[in-house]
This record gives sequence, structure tokens and C-alpha cells, in this order.
Amino acid sequence: MTDLIQLLINGLAIGSVYALAAIGFVIVYSATGVVNFAAGQFVMFGTFAGVAMLLNAQLPWPVGYGAALLAMALFGALFFVVLYLPLRASPVVTIIIGTVAIGITMQNAALLAFGSWPFRLPSPVESVNLTIAGATISGHAVAVVIVTALMVALLWLLFFRTSLGIGMRAVAQDIKAARLMGLKVNRLLALSWILAALLAGIAGLMLGPMWFADTSMGDPIALKAFAATIIGGFGSLPGAIVGGLFVGLSEVLGASYVSSAYKDLISFGIMILFLLVRPQGVFGERIQDRG
Amino acid sequence: MSIRVPLLVGAVILIAGLTLSMLLTDYHLRLLNLAALSAIAVIGLNFAFGYAGLISLGHAAFVGAGAYGVALLTTLFAWSPWLALPAAVAGTAVLAMLIGVPLLRLKGHYLALATLGFNVSFSIVAANWIEVTGGTNGISRIPELQIAGHALTDERSYLWFALLVLAVSAAVAALIHGSRHGRAMIAVRDDETASSMTGIDVPRVKLAAFVLSSVYAAVAGGLFAFHMRFISPEDFGYAHSITYLAMLVVGGEGSIVGAILGALLVTFLPEWLRFLGSAYLAFFGLFVLAILIFLPSGLAGIRRPRSFRRHGLMKWPALVAASKEARP
Amino acid sequence: MSLLQATEIAKRYGGLAALADVDLSVGEAEFVAVIGPNGAGKSTLLNVLTGLALPDKGRALLDGWDMTRAATHKRVRGGLGRTFQHGRPFERLSVLENVMTGAAIQSGRSELELRERAMAVLDQMGLAAEAQLPIGSLSYGHRRMVEMCRALACEPRVLLLDEPAAGLNSAEVDQLVDRLTDLRTKHRIAIVLIEHNMGMVMRLAERIIVLNFGCKIAEGTPSEIQSDPAVLSAYLGEGYRHAGV
Repeated sequence: MTDLIQLLINGLAIGSVYALAAIGFVIVYSATGVVNFAAGQFVMFGTFAGVAMLLNAQLPWPVGYGAALLAMALFGALFFVVLYLPLRASPVVTIIIGTVAIGITMQNAALLAFGSWPFRLPSPVESVNLTIAGATISGHAVAVVIVTALMVALLWLLFFRTSLGIGMRAVAQDIKAARLMGLKVNRLLALSWILAALLAGIAGLMLGPMWFADTSMGDPIALKAFAATIIGGFGSLPGAIVGGLFVGLSEVLGASYVSSAYKDLISFGIMILFLLVRPQGVFGERIQDRG
Repeated sequence: MSIRVPLLVGAVILIAGLTLSMLLTDYHLRLLNLAALSAIAVIGLNFAFGYAGLISLGHAAFVGAGAYGVALLTTLFAWSPWLALPAAVAGTAVLAMLIGVPLLRLKGHYLALATLGFNVSFSIVAANWIEVTGGTNGISRIPELQIAGHALTDERSYLWFALLVLAVSAAVAALIHGSRHGRAMIAVRDDETASSMTGIDVPRVKLAAFVLSSVYAAVAGGLFAFHMRFISPEDFGYAHSITYLAMLVVGGEGSIVGAILGALLVTFLPEWLRFLGSAYLAFFGLFVLAILIFLPSGLAGIRRPRSFRRHGLMKWPALVAASKEARP
Repeated sequence: MSLLQATEIAKRYGGLAALADVDLSVGEAEFVAVIGPNGAGKSTLLNVLTGLALPDKGRALLDGWDMTRAATHKRVRGGLGRTFQHGRPFERLSVLENVMTGAAIQSGRSELELRERAMAVLDQMGLAAEAQLPIGSLSYGHRRMVEMCRALACEPRVLLLDEPAAGLNSAEVDQLVDRLTDLRTKHRIAIVLIEHNMGMVMRLAERIIVLNFGCKIAEGTPSEIQSDPAVLSAYLGEGYRHAGV
């Protein structure tokens, strides 16, 4: 029982990270139609932005986190200019390969800058441990779940309570109509990339203390985010959250109760099952064949 | 299409390859071997993606199925390589059929992610089913191919053999492209509804393209196993699927020549970028991106006149407008 | 017995009845026009007949074969052909290759035979000179003719045409009328025509079916339809003037 509580919290914490990565992926997909295969590298960049600011530059954590997220926001804008603008009218496969190509560049740039040695990012709450029903829970894991919940709440406020967020939703729904309404469409599209980069940055900063981070961590995270997105429902934000938590839980519980070697088969098996039986996912949005 | 084009394609491959094989060092011959084997796989992918428009991110799993097939049959059951190869190819075709029937109902990025999931699942099984696949240690001591008592152990003679297979593969692909089957695949990609209204059994054509692409992949995989004589799961990860797709798009999707050019370029590009030192892979990504942006129809599209690019750049609204303007 | 027979076809989209108990019967080499205002259910009827949409109710027979639930390509192989509203030729294939795709309806034909059959159809429809061109280089009218050739290469016994004259100039319309007449008289192909060009409908159709809001409100010869009060009030009263014969 104490094991189970620990596993559940850890699963939720990992799942929160996947959920944030998946939300960033979904925001970009809904707004721009781009299936971003570099989404995992975004998270890796987030972790290594933290490594640069907290370990290399030795900044105190509030400043370091701020600087890392600022760097991520700038990177999101750069990605918009370098990848999205030139390729936006290309076929979906060209864009997929374009994001993969940039992902290769990102991974190898990080490798050049940081080497292949794994890092462990510190957490502001890492000395805190909680005891719940006899189980020792890491304070960081709890903090991750809380931060993720806060982020989701903030996103909800952004999208449903501010004119900026409502504009972004308008662009996602009908870009032509949004343009006719006088919205600055390109600015809003850029903003969705920046938002995705920021969310990935937060995910990376929170993931760093849970794993030994190395520059090849991006791809597995992207795969988990994809699985989360499919299971939750392609293009659905609540779906990304539920899917992310589900993938995280199935990974942690599967590793401990089923088989650590085949833990990933569970989420991918379920993803394929969803694709076959209910391709619109749990939070089925209308299937539109954007491909 | 006449028989001349396929023959010409095959002949050019053989002559160019044989000339190169006399000039290059062993290391570059090795790369050329890998490029030739990739080219076979990419010509296969061209059926699924270039013609029928199926975005498959699981191609490397079929290459792996072919490779593991021959590796298991030759090492575990001591089959002759010449028997193991067709058996592995047939087995892969059956696998593709089993995977394809449910998965090909999906379209666009749904199909892309489903095939990606299939590739990842393949890697997980290959890495963990240790009793059969040897896990991450892979399978070694795969026997070499022999032709009339001559073992293909050195890079040069293997290259000759690989080029022969590539030439035949390309010629067969050109024949299929010019046949009713090729036209049906291209029609399905253009417009599924109009295809079915032309009597084409759309699901069947898609499945045929998918299985055909897996057959080419399995041939490439089997030859890869006989070339390296050692295989492990990392040779067939989903990253390789994306590489195959990148080769096809960079070379020019929908074109057999493009598939070969793309395989060559993407295999040799990292070598040519070696002067950049340890940064070469970072530049590789940017280079591929630059090709996507500046050569949207790939290398094969460079010399083709605009009107002949099979891209359907002009859609009907543009044509309606154009025809209205043209009217007196 | 009629060649194409649809009985009590009903199809709803959400709460909207696109078709309500519509009957249609077409005899051999007969020319039937289906007219009605936009949204009357004409295209839905073609979709149900070709299997692109399945009806909620009713049956469709092709020469006695119940094809109500059959796959589209099987209906085509059974002798049903169709063109689409704005023309949907295959953009990545040349004109000849487009038509050869249709000729491949019968398996076992050699490439040479496919080519000859396709050329014969192109010749018949006056497109032989364009055979080697890519679709992208054709005029709008010729794109639509390519699609018609492709459908004809499938050797249909019933051809369903969805507004074939839309977007054509008057000379092209005249040419189309001649070709359609030929198809019926020389090749004995039955034709179901959906068209807004009333002049063309009145010249060609032996029988006209009028749809409005998914219901058949009238059926008869052109002269009967022209004097039908229900039709006049629902459709022709306004449409006839605008169609500008």
C-alpha cells in the first residue's frame, strides 16, 4: 500500500511532465497544424537551460528559472521564424521532417555545449520529504503536480478569460476569419510557439531533478507526449492532460507491477488501440484529416 | 511505359556504381554499400508514400523484420542464406499485411503516429526478447553470402552484388510505376473518392503499396544483415524510419531516381560535413531543413520543368479563375 | 425492368432530412434529369447511388443487383459511372494516364490494350491531342472532359453527371450536349443529369425529376414539368429566368 502511494505520486509527477509537453504540442498543432517532432527536444532544451543557469552560471533558483524560461521563450520565437514561416505551406510530411531535422540540430548543439555526461538538476524543494500514510513522498514530485495544476489553471484563464487567449483560439479555429476580424494572426501564431516552448521549458526544469538528464532525453519524451496526445484526443487540451497523466502512471505502475522492460509497450499498445478503435481519443474532438 | 526506361535506370546504376567501386577507398565503399541498401528501402518507401501517400514512420521496423528474419534463420536454424532471404521477405510481407489491414484505415498524421508506435513497439520487443533476438547485444556471426563459391566478404564484391540488387529493384519499381498498379496508387493519393469512382479498390491498393514497400524494406534489411554480419535493435529504431522518409523527401518523393539520390546524399552528407568537426550533425539538420525550404520537390525536381512536376500545384479554384479570365 | 432503380431512399444529416423517400428509376439508354434548388438533395442522391454515403432507408438496384450497401468500386465495376461537381481528375497523372486508370476496370488487359482503349475514348470526346499533357496545363472545361473520359473508359451503363455544364462557356455547353446525345444514342448509355442550366436540361432530358428539401415534388416530361404549378412555385418561377436559357 505504501508502495502504491509512492508509485502513484511518482507516476503523476512524471505524467505531469508529459502532460505539459503534450499541451505545448497540442497548442502548436491546433494553432498552426504543425505536428512538431522536435517537441521532446524542446523539453530537453528546458532541462539544459536549467543546467546552464543553475549549475553552470550558479544563479539562485528564482533568477535561474526566470532566465531559463526567458531563453526558452526566445527559442520558441526563433523556431517560429526559422521553421514555421518558411515551411507553413508545405505538405505535412515535409513539415514533420523539417521538425525532425531541427530536432537533430538541437540535440547535437546541446551535445556540443554540454557533452554527453548526464547532469542532475537541483530542485528548490529537494530536501523536503513528506510522509503520507507511512509512505515517503519526495517533495519535488508533489511540487511538480502542484505546479502543473497551476499551469493548467493559468492556461485556462489565458484561453478563456483574456482577449489574447481568445484571439489565439480564434486563430486555431479559423485562421481566415481571424484575419478578417483584424487579429494580428502572425503575432498570435508566434505566441503559440512561444507558449509551447515555455511549457516545454517548465516541463524540462521539473523533469531535470527526477532523471539524470542527458542530451538524448528528448526523443523518448516526444514519443510519450505523442502517445498522451493520441490517447487523450488529438488537438484537445484536457485530452493532453489526461493522456499525459495516464502515460506517466502506466509507465511507473507498469514498470513495477508488470515488467520494466516492456513498460513502454503498455502506453504504445494503448495508443495504437485507441488509434484503431477510437482515433479521436478520450476527449473526442471532431476528426479532421489535416494530413 | 516502355521497357526502355527501367532498363536505362538499371544500366545507369550499374555503370555509375561499378566505376565508383574502382575508385573509392574501402571506407567509402562501405558507405556506398549502406547507401545502396538504404536506396532499396527508400525505393520501397516510395510506393507507400511517394505514390500512395501513406505516411509511414515504421519503415525501419520492416527493414528490421527482414534483417532479424535472415539472422534468425541462418544462425538458429542454420538455413542457407539464399533460402533465408526469400523466407524472411515473405514473412515480412505477411507482417505488413497483418499490420496494414487495421492501421491503413487511418490517414495523415494519425497513420504517421500509429506506424511510429509500431516501430517503437518493434524496437522494444527486439531489445527485450533476449532468448530470440539476443536483446541489445543483437545477433552476431551471421554467415556471409556466397555466389558460385566466392564469398562476398570484402566491401567491393559486396557492393557489386548490392548494386545488382539495387538495379533490379529500381527497374522493377519503374515497371510497376508505369503499370496500372502504379497509376492506381498515384490516383489513390490524389483523390480517394475519385479513385473509388474509377473502379479502384482503395483499401486494397493501399495495402498492396504498403506490403510492396515492406518487401523492398525486407530485402534491404536481409542484405544489411549479410553485409554487417551483426545486427542489433538500434539499427532499426524509428529514427531510421524518419531517415528513410527524409531520404525520400530530400531526393524527391514520387521519383525512383529521387529515392536513390536522397539515399546517397543523406548517407554521404555527414561525411562531407566532417570538416565541421564535432558540429557536423548539428549542421546536418540545418542542411536538410534548407533543402526542404529551397528545393520543395527534392533533388529530382531540380531539372524537371514546372509543368511536369507531379504536384498538382494548380487547384481547381485557380483554374476556374484562370479560365474565366481567358474567356472573351 | 429498369436498369437503375432506387426506392424510398432516405438520408438524414443530423436533424436535417437531405432525402426523404425518394424514388428514381432509369431505363436503358434513358436520359433523366434531376433538378431542384441548391440544397434540395441532388448531390446527396448521387452520393447514395454511388455508395459515397449510405442511406438510412431504401434500396438501390443496378440491373436487378442490390447494391444498397456495396462498396463504390464494386458499383463502378457493375456499370455505374459518375463525374463530380467541379471535376476531379488525378492531378499527378497525365490526361492519357487518367483515362487508362478507368480502362483498367477490367483486369487482364495489357498496357497496350489499356492505352488503345483510352485513346479511343479521348478521340471520341475530342481530347486526343491533349493525351500526353499534365492535368495542370488544361483549361477548366478540358479538365472536366478528362474526368468524363475517365468515367467512360470504365464502360458504364449508367452515367451520373453532377452539373457538367457549370463553368463552361456556351460553345462548350453546345459541344457537351452533342457528346451526351451521342453517348445515349450511339453507345446506349443511360444518363442521370444534375444541372442548373435549364436550357440544357430541356434539350436533353426525356424525363425530369424535381427535388425540393429532399422530397420529390414532381416527375414528368419537360413539357409537363414546365407547366407543373408546384415546380413553378418551388423552383422554376425564379430559377428559369435566372438560368437564362
